[in-house]
Amino acid sequence: MTELLGIEEKTYTLNLGPQHPSTHGVLRVILEMDGEFIIKAEPVIGYGHRGHEHMAENRNYTQFLPNLARVDYLHALAYNQCYCMAVEKLLDLKVPERAEFIRVITCELNRISSHLLWFGAYLMDLGAFTPFLYCFDDREHLLDLLDGLTGSRLTYCFFRFGGVPVDIDADFVAGCRSFVSRLRSRWNDYNNLVTKNVIFINRTRDVGIITRDQCIKYGITGPNLRGSGIPYDIRKSEPYSAYPEFDFEIPIGAKGDIYDRYIVRLAEMEQSCRIIEQACNQLPDGPIMAEKVPKRIKPPVGEVYQAVETARGSFGMYIVSQGDVKPYRIKLRTPSFANMSFFPEMAVDNLVADLVANLGSIDVVIPEIDR
Amino acid sequence: MLKDNLTKALAPLNLEKVAEGDYAKTGYHLEVAALPAQLPDVAQAMLAADCFLESFTAVDLIEAFDLVYHFASFDELCRTAVHVPLGKKKGMPTISHIYPGADWYEREVFDLFGIHFFNHPNLKRLLLPEDADFHPLLKDFGASQGND
Repeated sequence: MTELLGIEEKTYTLNLGPQHPSTHGVLRVILEMDGEFIIKAEPVIGYGHRGHEHMAENRNYTQFLPNLARVDYLHALAYNQCYCMAVEKLLDLKVPERAEFIRVITCELNRISSHLLWFGAYLMDLGAFTPFLYCFDDREHLLDLLDGLTGSRLTYCFFRFGGVPVDIDADFVAGCRSFVSRLRSRWNDYNNLVTKNVIFINRTRDVGIITRDQCIKYGITGPNLRGSGIPYDIRKSEPYSAYPEFDFEIPIGAKGDIYDRYIVRLAEMEQSCRIIEQACNQLPDGPIMAEKVPKRIKPPVGEVYQAVETARGSFGMYIVSQGDVKPYRIKLRTPSFANMSFFPEMAVDNLVADLVANLGSIDVVIPEIDR
Repeated sequence: MLKDNLTKALAPLNLEKVAEGDYAKTGYHLEVAALPAQLPDVAQAMLAADCFLESFTAVDLIEAFDLVYHFASFDELCRTAVHVPLGKKKGMPTISHIYPGADWYEREVFDLFGIHFFNHPNLKRLLLPEDADFHPLLKDFGASQGND
């Protein structure tokens, strides 16, 4: 058409971010546009780079523990757990069963709070304000619960090498139970507000499809992968902690579009509720710290790779020890990094109007990419 | 089993080491050592077995680098660690044409360690500003002296 009219075809550059409400942190995307269509998207990351891996080499094992909560601030306890498990493997420490249960309960509560935040923030990206108020109301109860136990609302640093520092009491268990029943009573509201909402369905069905092949090539994990129908969840695929003790399912999608990822996250919250409920029922008595935890953490020479399932996918820690009190090298394999590296392919050939819907649907936490 | 299939697939490549790993201690089912030039073939074999690139990083061993690739599979629990020794001031072939996800990992290693990747489509800094003139994860980087 443009040729017929004798108009020169031109593309233009559109800059998104780094200060943009829907980039969930400081992310910049340089877009090459042809009218309303994106022909190239280049994410620019690193605005929140704090050098966690470099910091790890400059402090001893214990001093690095609080850093982990600041990598992914929405699912801090999974990061805590991964680091503790990796160091426990290096030290050959056996964690008592009660401590494992406490880790699982708090980790799953944290997962729910992360998914609830995604739920609210994502729908706000799409222009729906009300769901945000609903889920932040629920999330507030959860944060109070974790605040009482760990002393922080977001950047939890609760696990220790060998166990947990504080035991949970009957009040906490009762709080967990009442939170679970409260959340369950809300599913109906959530579904009526969002899941069955025709505007939401039209914006998300058949948009942002991720295929199995793309997942393998980019190492996409978490709900983004499971939305595409691949039942890969570290909690089941590579069982750790007390997860094998519980009966839970791995929700998967069929098509791999945004709607499927939404359904997966919603269903995962219910599965987390099931895990919490079972853990509260079966909570064993006993110590919460391993015996003979050395005062000076000085693992022998060796290396270890430990993976856990966070709210955003597979988080892995690669630790190289040279027998010193400081780690020789720590690599943080963060799920959002791999998920985000796929984003350019996802955005291309789509409308700019779908860009925010796509970006939000992969649930990235920018500081986790930048580290 | 995937582990056996991988061992078979890697056999014709004449790698330095293809051995069973101690999963309980290291988290690896298979440990592989390869030379830099062999790595694209290893990556190709991994992709053919439907493995994904879980992580890639480097370790500065002062005299040389140790590049570590971790591969895992969605279908079966099998983690492969591929160690590649690389001399200082040497370059590495890219695998970003095999695993597009390696693009960012290689840029990150270039950024933090200054290791060059041949034929990489877009080798520029990823996490640090474009005008940075240092590679912070090198052991001789000033700030890593620190104080206890």
